[in-house]
Amino acid sequence: MKDQLTSPAGREQFFLRLYQESFPDLAKYIQKRGGTLADAKDVFQDSLVIYYEQLTKEKPIANQKQQAYLFGIARHLWFKRYQQQSRFLNEVDGVGEGLISDQIPQEPAHRDVWQFLEQAGQKCMEMLKAFYYDRLSMEQLAGQFGYQSTRSATVQKYKCLEKVRDQVKQKSLTHEDFIG
Amino acid sequence: MRTSLDEIKQLEAYVFKQQSPEESLLMQAQLHLDKGLAERLEDQKKVYGLVQQYGRKRLKEEISQVEAQLFGEAKHRSFKERIFKIFNL
Repeated sequence: MKDQLTSPAGREQFFLRLYQESFPDLAKYIQKRGGTLADAKDVFQDSLVIYYEQLTKEKPIANQKQQAYLFGIARHLWFKRYQQQSRFLNEVDGVGEGLISDQIPQEPAHRDVWQFLEQAGQKCMEMLKAFYYDRLSMEQLAGQFGYQSTRSATVQKYKCLEKVRDQVKQKSLTHEDFIG
Repeated sequence: MRTSLDEIKQLEAYVFKQQSPEESLLMQAQLHLDKGLAERLEDQKKVYGLVQQYGRKRLKEEISQVEAQLFGEAKHRSFKERIFKIFNL
């Protein structure tokens, strides 16, 4: 399955399947608890991001457990959302607590950051994303970005890192600029 | 590889704890002595954070496109109707 996640087309198929398999159950779950379709969509999107990051970073989760795992993430996110809206915090139990270490960050507050990314070069950002976020192997990276060898792909990866780092320095961007 | 790229590679190995204990200690000593190197390390860490943010943003775009397909395309009409029914829409 990890191989499927290394290309946009593969990810599309993967997410389509997850929506079809898991979204109806989550929609029912959220509707019963007073949520709207918009709530269900938001929660599911964030759950898919977390799920994807888990899959790319860790050992694959057994196939039969996937749906339960994704549902667990979604339920946890829904509780968090509900808690924020509710004045009766104590009524909500802590089911799912500790399941997720990462939090879905908000979109950066400063549009400048994304403009800056464009300047850094789309290809460089895509390449760095493919390696550090999607966690492609060097062979996969070389193949996808058209390099003859893993060595030249490696050199290019570090060049991109340097290019973006120089821009970060120039603009004195801080971490707060990114998390908003 | 250029010296500056080699340094980036070493800083990366330090950040991701891929060095041996000896290499890591040596790097710590160098960082202590060389302010410029310490600054480059901090900037490099920012890049990793930035790439993470960028990756999430792009992934969310991909997921949104899938969602738009399911709720917009005729071939997925039964899916959409099933979901709308749940919310009495």
